[in-house]
Amino acid sequence: MSSREDILGRVRAALHRNAGNAATAREVMAAALANRNPGPQPAVAGEPRALLERFRLKSEQASSTVDIVATEADVPAAIAKYLAAMKLPTSAVAWASLGALDWAGAGLKVEARGARDADLVGITGCFCAVAETGTLMMTSSPDTPAAVSLLPETHIAVVQASRIVAYMEDAWNLARAELGSLPRAVNFISGPSRTGDIEQTIVLGAHGPYRVHLVIVEG
Amino acid sequence: MEIKSMRFKANSEASLANVVLQGNLKNAKGKFVTKRAEAIKELDDFEGTRDAAAAIRNKVIDNLDLWLERFETKAQETGAQVMWAKDGAEVCRLVTEIARKHGVTKVTKSKSMLSEEAGLNQALEAAGIQPVETDLGEYILQVNDNEPPSHIIAPAVHKSLDDVADLFHKVHGTPRKTEIPALTREAREVLRGHFLTAEMGLSGGNFLVAETGSVALVTNEGNGRMVTTMPKVHVVITGIEKVIPTLEDLSTLMRLLPRSATGQSISNYFSILTGVKKPEEHDGPEHLYFVLVDAGRADVVGGEFHEMLRCIRCGACMNHCPVYQTIGGHAYGWVYPGPMGSVLTPLYAGIENAIDLPHAATLCNQCGVVCPVKIPLPELLRKLREKQTDAGLRPLTERIGLRVWAWVAQRPALYGLGASLGARYLKWLAGGNKSIRLLPAAQEWTNGRDFPAPQGQTFREMYAARRKSAAQGDAK
Amino acid sequence: MANKRVGLFVTCLVDLMRPRIGFAALKLLETAGCDVIVPDTQTCCGQPAWNSGDKAGAEALAKKTIAEFEGFDYIVVPSGSCGDHIRSEYQSMFAEEPSWRDRATAMAARTYELTDFLASVLKVDSVPGDYEGTVTYHDSCSGLRSMGIKAQPRALLAKMKGVQLKEMNGCEECCGFGGTFSVKFGEVSAAIAGRKCDFIHASGAPAVVGGDLGCLLNIEGKLRRMGDETTQVLHVAEVLAGRD
Repeated sequence: MSSREDILGRVRAALHRNAGNAATAREVMAAALANRNPGPQPAVAGEPRALLERFRLKSEQASSTVDIVATEADVPAAIAKYLAAMKLPTSAVAWASLGALDWAGAGLKVEARGARDADLVGITGCFCAVAETGTLMMTSSPDTPAAVSLLPETHIAVVQASRIVAYMEDAWNLARAELGSLPRAVNFISGPSRTGDIEQTIVLGAHGPYRVHLVIVEG
Repeated sequence: MEIKSMRFKANSEASLANVVLQGNLKNAKGKFVTKRAEAIKELDDFEGTRDAAAAIRNKVIDNLDLWLERFETKAQETGAQVMWAKDGAEVCRLVTEIARKHGVTKVTKSKSMLSEEAGLNQALEAAGIQPVETDLGEYILQVNDNEPPSHIIAPAVHKSLDDVADLFHKVHGTPRKTEIPALTREAREVLRGHFLTAEMGLSGGNFLVAETGSVALVTNEGNGRMVTTMPKVHVVITGIEKVIPTLEDLSTLMRLLPRSATGQSISNYFSILTGVKKPEEHDGPEHLYFVLVDAGRADVVGGEFHEMLRCIRCGACMNHCPVYQTIGGHAYGWVYPGPMGSVLTPLYAGIENAIDLPHAATLCNQCGVVCPVKIPLPELLRKLREKQTDAGLRPLTERIGLRVWAWVAQRPALYGLGASLGARYLKWLAGGNKSIRLLPAAQEWTNGRDFPAPQGQTFREMYAARRKSAAQGDAK
Repeated sequence: MANKRVGLFVTCLVDLMRPRIGFAALKLLETAGCDVIVPDTQTCCGQPAWNSGDKAGAEALAKKTIAEFEGFDYIVVPSGSCGDHIRSEYQSMFAEEPSWRDRATAMAARTYELTDFLASVLKVDSVPGDYEGTVTYHDSCSGLRSMGIKAQPRALLAKMKGVQLKEMNGCEECCGFGGTFSVKFGEVSAAIAGRKCDFIHASGAPAVVGGDLGCLLNIEGKLRRMGDETTQVLHVAEVLAGRD
């Protein structure tokens, strides 16, 4: 007997499985799988301005820094300003979806490709953002490779204000509506990577970025 | 992992005598507790969220066979392969076979307690494959001669900054660093090389989502993302009880898991991984395997301990446990310490191999009230005690003592006489002092504290005397 | 309205070690206008057997206790631990014996921890005690987490002009007693008690008050072993009732 059959066989026996109760259980399962009602959620005000403010506050509490610009065209200059202020390199790797912005005009050398170990700055967009916890939702695809938000020491994310939702459950519904099925990787990111494994003292920059900077586009 | 739980009492006393460990435990105590207390205040309906989380876990465990089949089907549809392991040995065999098949020489590992259960690192090494622990805490322990973890969330919580400074200086051959950020950076640089060169990444799984066939991983360091993004093969090792129905259910559980574990509103990274890399993608594994592990779990289904299967491995029970806080995790002698470990170890490693653990609790229920999925841990510990008694596993003196005491307590006159004699004996032992320094019949008590002297007469004697004199008074 | 008929379960530990706590409870209840009976065949509620895995012994003692206390309007216990055992565990113990389960359920509905009974049921306006001084309060685990005893003893102490309550940090942390745990793992138990004593000392109060004698013996024993001969360790009933 295969291990699969052995294990499932013992689970079935323990649950007194038979055709009758399996049919009932399948109905319960179908209902559970179809149920889209969220569990209890903390109150999050749903107006666009309130969502933006909460997202900003929670992101800052997660040790991200936040900048707000009016239009997407303002993004390269805002990022150039941030990098200069932080004395960070002006070369970066970016998602292909951001490749059309005028990076050179802002004095930045940005390549749209997958990330490599030597990349020090990674620029991404995000699928959406969650106000409840100050969290970015990244969905992987050929144009949005996961490693760009992981390997570089600095991660800069461009967030459209219109894509800030209240709860993670809203993000799932967006994904279902817009992507159909889940992509290979959904990564929720809330601030720079960190560890507390030595004396429970929080240190930023464990294996991923040391800093996360968010540029929110209002327009 | 070898089980050393039968040495719990000796281990716990050694922990108490270890001055360095006691200092580290004292330093750690309460940090998680304080942060959790703050974090749960963010939830308007914490109790309702706990109820919802418990209901989600029950829903699956009550029909686990069907949910496992459903998960398997969905995972296979996404291009993953699903394997089943009855025990730790089979986990080791399957993972080694996968590694060989893909020509793997190095495996980077994100934290997996099941791989500790299975002793996977040793098996991989024996097969000539290098396992590299990448969680900072696990890495510290691995380079310290494969020391076992003492906590499921903070594996090296028993180590001090000084301990780590000495260790890295020794194993990395670098100048001794005394700042935590510098030590963290040093480990980052060592491990970055491994992340980029390992052919296989291995992770546990916090949850398996039946709706989508995905695994959900909760990490802070980013090592979980690394091992599931960079190598060409990703293997998930997880217990069969980890299935949940939907992404909404995942969100509910995520409101509780990081808050209960580390006191964070959400962990830095929360990854939901589904299937394999598409040809045109830049990163992600080409092969994804799930190893669904029984190792004792199937036999808990449907029985009197089934509530334990709700456990989401947050560690809140141990963080809040007065016994764990006092002796640390190693004394428990296996993979899982604290209250959850004292239930899981007898269930998974054999009730006869962990005689002390169900008794190693004051039943204060601090664990029960913090558990995010409302597992009645003290009640499960008590039931294990009952099982031990029924199986004749408790020491004979204890069994006879309890039997005699209960027999006498059912006979009020005899009991009253015994209590009177006992009160007088203890009073005599105290010899006019307020307390007794050495109680020959209970040296376990007086080794560490005095035994206060009794008043000398029992309540029943004094009450009877008072009633008698009141009656005489009335008669006059 | 007729006086309430109260059966007082003094607990085996009070019987053996500190009868004055039983008399204090008696005085508090009588002062509040209750007719109090102390059934003289009572011994132990059976909790040590239950928690040690001796189901048969626990059930026998539970049946004995249930039978002894039927017929009272209320059963009052000067212990959160024994009180919780009677109120919660008896019912689950007899899940398979409907007649006893029903009797256990009926008893549970009438069973109260002493301070809960005084504060929540009798709603007393005053207490007879005349204690003067600062005290700190140790919340015992079963009372606190299973019976919700937290505000009641504090509300009663607040009715005493001479008493100032100085809360300690960690007042809700276990003292390490744990019944048989205290003699199975004596060193661990005593080490946990040591932390509790540190909290007590840090509060600066010259007396610690609690509602469970097991915890109090543990704390007192540890304080004395630490060389503290002066900090008073008192049951809340003693403080509320005053000394005769």
